[in-house]
Amino acid sequence: MAISVQQLRRTYGAFTAVDDLSFEVGRGEIVGLIGPNGAGKTTTLRTLAGILKPTAGRVSVDGHDLVTAPIEAKRRLAFMPDEPHLFEYLTVEEHLRLVARLYTVPDFDKRARELIGELELTGKEGALPGELSRGMRQKVVIACGLVRDASVLLFDEPLTGLDPIGIRRMRDTITRRARQGAAILVSSHLLHLVEEVCTRVIIMAKGHKVADGTVKDLATRADLAAAGSNLEEIFLQITGHAPQFTADEQDS
Amino acid sequence: MVGATAYIMWCSAKNRVRRRLRRLREPRYLIGAIFGVAYLFFAVYGRMAPRRPSSSRSASPGARRAQSVVATMTASAPALGGLALLVAAAVSWLMPFGSGLLEFTQAETAFLFPAPIPRRSLLFYRLMRSQWAVFFGALVMSLAYPIATISARTRGLLSVWLLLMTAHVFFTGVTLSRPQLRRRSEHSQLLARVAVAVVFGALAVVLTAVARHLWDQPILNLTDAYKVISGVVATGVPHLVLVPFIAVVRPLFADGWLSFAKALGPAIAVYLITIAWVLRADEAFGTITEKLTDARGSQPSQRRARYQARSVGWDLALTGRAETPFMWKGALQTFRVVDRRVLIRVGIMIVWLTVVVSLFGRARGLAQALGLLATGAAIFATIIGPQVMRVDMRQDLQHLEVLKTWPVRAAAVVRGEMLWPAMVVTMVAWVCGAVGIVLSAATFSGASLSLRIAGGLAALILAPAFVVAQFTIHNTAALMFPAWVPLGMSRPRGVDAMGQRLFMLGATWLMLIFVVAPGAIAGGIVWFAFRRLIGAWILIPAAMVCTTVIALEVLMATEALGPAYERLDLSSVDRGE
Repeated sequence: MAISVQQLRRTYGAFTAVDDLSFEVGRGEIVGLIGPNGAGKTTTLRTLAGILKPTAGRVSVDGHDLVTAPIEAKRRLAFMPDEPHLFEYLTVEEHLRLVARLYTVPDFDKRARELIGELELTGKEGALPGELSRGMRQKVVIACGLVRDASVLLFDEPLTGLDPIGIRRMRDTITRRARQGAAILVSSHLLHLVEEVCTRVIIMAKGHKVADGTVKDLATRADLAAAGSNLEEIFLQITGHAPQFTADEQDS
Repeated sequence: MVGATAYIMWCSAKNRVRRRLRRLREPRYLIGAIFGVAYLFFAVYGRMAPRRPSSSRSASPGARRAQSVVATMTASAPALGGLALLVAAAVSWLMPFGSGLLEFTQAETAFLFPAPIPRRSLLFYRLMRSQWAVFFGALVMSLAYPIATISARTRGLLSVWLLLMTAHVFFTGVTLSRPQLRRRSEHSQLLARVAVAVVFGALAVVLTAVARHLWDQPILNLTDAYKVISGVVATGVPHLVLVPFIAVVRPLFADGWLSFAKALGPAIAVYLITIAWVLRADEAFGTITEKLTDARGSQPSQRRARYQARSVGWDLALTGRAETPFMWKGALQTFRVVDRRVLIRVGIMIVWLTVVVSLFGRARGLAQALGLLATGAAIFATIIGPQVMRVDMRQDLQHLEVLKTWPVRAAAVVRGEMLWPAMVVTMVAWVCGAVGIVLSAATFSGASLSLRIAGGLAALILAPAFVVAQFTIHNTAALMFPAWVPLGMSRPRGVDAMGQRLFMLGATWLMLIFVVAPGAIAGGIVWFAFRRLIGAWILIPAAMVCTTVIALEVLMATEALGPAYERLDLSSVDRGE
């Protein structure tokens, strides 16, 4: 498995953000990680990216343990956070070059050109982050993640700040990378995106995994029968936020 | 607006106090608070008790001399204070810094800018909000004054408060007027140019008079310089042009309530004129606040440096050592943050400093003065440089989330982060030190040639070791105690934060002694064993041994820091405000 998470627990002081979380993501899979605010999605992704150390449990990337062999694991990872963290003094092209150096990208110039065109950053190669809009900065972060051949891609709210064309391209990029064999984990509140793109969905609530499967699988679960086959309804039902109708409303 | 301002001030103060008290539950803040309170007690509260100067009869001859110097200085102090203010006013036009009064937080931008209130009210709001900080500063300064009665301290408090407020408002006016100097609007441009002409005209008058005196009568020491300058500014045209500046500082030197009341009127008049000048720059205020709104909308709340994309002639190779990308990153940060205008202004200041040194050094020789200046600068760079140049982990903690995703060994990250700033500081120390060695014949004329050259070269060899050792200590502190390290350009506030800074400063110096000690002992052994054989030249191999030992220690320390880097999680660190 490209991503393997076993009984992951992450605490902040006395607060447990993620508890007893286990799942796997195989090559070519796109798994959606969804849940209400504070469910532990971002903590999970940040732990998978090597930013946070697990309090307990094991995380491995392509068989490399993130704690005992962090360099090998991180070499295979690309994390695209929701908030674009960029160095204010490096241009777009320099960000890509820095990443290429750190991850040893062989044909950097060709890749960079292609990516800059694909993400509509042409003409912005020499711009500093301060001169870019939020959407553009988000694209730079995505470009930095895609400039190398990562076998595991982690997206945290990948569409934040993107325009409709950018959203369309991002969706295509995610599916294309999965077809090329990457394991992809996407955290998003945009359930229609998750439903459209993801091959599987993991639903988290209060730090725990409460559901894991395809939308079709979840729809057939006995306790979710009332929700139908719509991911939004399933999500509301499973997280205990399903609308309560009165008898009259149900009749109507 | 007054009600809204009062409400925001009250709520902010209440919540700040509550938050600071709550964070005392964490040991690091508690320790910081204990240090801070202890410092305040000994440095400030200890001076609260009124102390009278001892009578001339019972005082020692040294004390009597000191009293007579103080008495002489008090007579000419308002004029000298006025001159200092004038110089500060002129420098504020040259330095590229903005006024804190115009720095709105993201919340202020979001809530107040769209509100149906005139832009001038925003300035009023900021003025009101800055009162507490200015008052606190004035309070500390008045308490720190060594010999004073309670009523003198009260007068001092009021005087310093007024002085700081006037300076605050004046600086805001400068920030607003600076961009207007090149604008097309005739009114605002004229207003800005008149202000510049007044300040620099007055400065030119005073400096010309001072320079003429210094040229006629070369000075030997600081007392001479003091006498010449105080003589020049106390009479004639220089005194006349200094009148508004003297008016602002005069209440500070009043020796009773009556003279204080007399001095207060002109000082308040200058304050009001300054406010009127700032409010007249309404057009500029509109433009600047609009710019601020745009900038703040896309930037985090922390204050950030401004960068300009320009080539620095270093393209990062796609293969090589893991530390190199960090050095490259640091180099780009350094060269891009430097504004060409800053360089011009720094150039002007260097020329000015050279002129001053030449005038002061005429009696003893320019070479000696420049030699001393260069030697002092080299020592300053070696000791203070690592504290000032923070282009390392201390600044990159704010990018920790990115750094930690990179497949780079923790030790390489730490070393890479330190290499560039250490190189810059070392280069500055080396250049200044080399000038010092060249001019050492004039500066240290009593020492032999071999001692001067060997000593100078030994110092140059030791400089990088001292610099790198200090960077290692600072970066270790950043990784071990991230909550105590200011992120980016922000500075934590509060008594506990002040205590933490004091604690860190002391700990840093103590650590430096521990880090340097093994190298110093090894170098000392070499020096002791061979000094009779090769004389002063032994200093060079001794310095090399010392530097090698320190370099090995630094290497081991960076390797040992790996686990701390891996463990570091800023999200669990309460950074306070």
